[in-house]
Amino acid sequence: MGAVALAEQVPIPASADRQQFEQMVEEHLNGLFGAALRMTRNRTNAEDLLQETFLRAWRSFHTFRPGTNARAWLYRILMNAYIDNYRKATREPEVVDQDDVDEFYLYSKVQESDQYRRAGNPEEAFLQTLMDADVKAALESLPEAFRAVVMLADIDGFSYKEIAEILSIPIGTVMSRLHRGRKQLQVALWEYARRARYVDGARPQPPESRSKDRPSAGEGRR
Amino acid sequence: MSELDCEQVLEMVWEYLDGEIDEVQYRGIHTHIEKCGDCGPRYEFQRKLMALVERKCQEGPIPADLKQRLFQLLKE
Repeated sequence: MGAVALAEQVPIPASADRQQFEQMVEEHLNGLFGAALRMTRNRTNAEDLLQETFLRAWRSFHTFRPGTNARAWLYRILMNAYIDNYRKATREPEVVDQDDVDEFYLYSKVQESDQYRRAGNPEEAFLQTLMDADVKAALESLPEAFRAVVMLADIDGFSYKEIAEILSIPIGTVMSRLHRGRKQLQVALWEYARRARYVDGARPQPPESRSKDRPSAGEGRR
Repeated sequence: MSELDCEQVLEMVWEYLDGEIDEVQYRGIHTHIEKCGDCGPRYEFQRKLMALVERKCQEGPIPADLKQRLFQLLKE
């Protein structure tokens, strides 16, 4: 929707409001831009989503109570805009249930790996092999319901209560999605790390080489 | 308060990392992690992993042209 059409629909707040709005939003634009990228997994869509968020926020700025949590308010608008515009029509399958995976999946994998054990400090050795792109791709591989909570908690640093408000879900749901999302993230990180080592021509595959690699390499990547 | 065992501690490790538990539990877990050879390294690894995820998933600042376009919307 263009700004002109918008102007015909709603009373535009006074210019003093505009200044206030600009100040409030500017502070959070970098974070919102990153969140839009993580959710849409696509630069063009992220820019569109951010624009939609910006306009929605401006339109409902008169409902914002000064002194309340501006950042959470803006993220809530962003997530609602995402759901309205980008959520897949068919519900994404919740894929593999990771209930058989424990909370310390990665730690155990790293400890079991001869390659990392040889390095002396296996945990550090593993963490150092992770590239920015691998970590982003691993996060983006999560189903969106999990991706959203993990992103809001682990990247944007929101509290459980704030996340519950941003996503309009109960705190218990936030916690269970966060648990499951973090498990899935660990599984994905392990897969990406394995693949990266393979590509680098470093030592061959660790022993548990499985055939269940999903052919997702090109999907959703920027 | 009775001392926490490893299972209880590891179950709450995320909430602990997230700062989402009360002070009594916090102290119990803190004490346990400090001296337990099993839970300590596990906690340390999760902590470093989450810090790394946070760091690596940050985007640079929003591109200047995009920012300009957004603010332009208000002026049209």
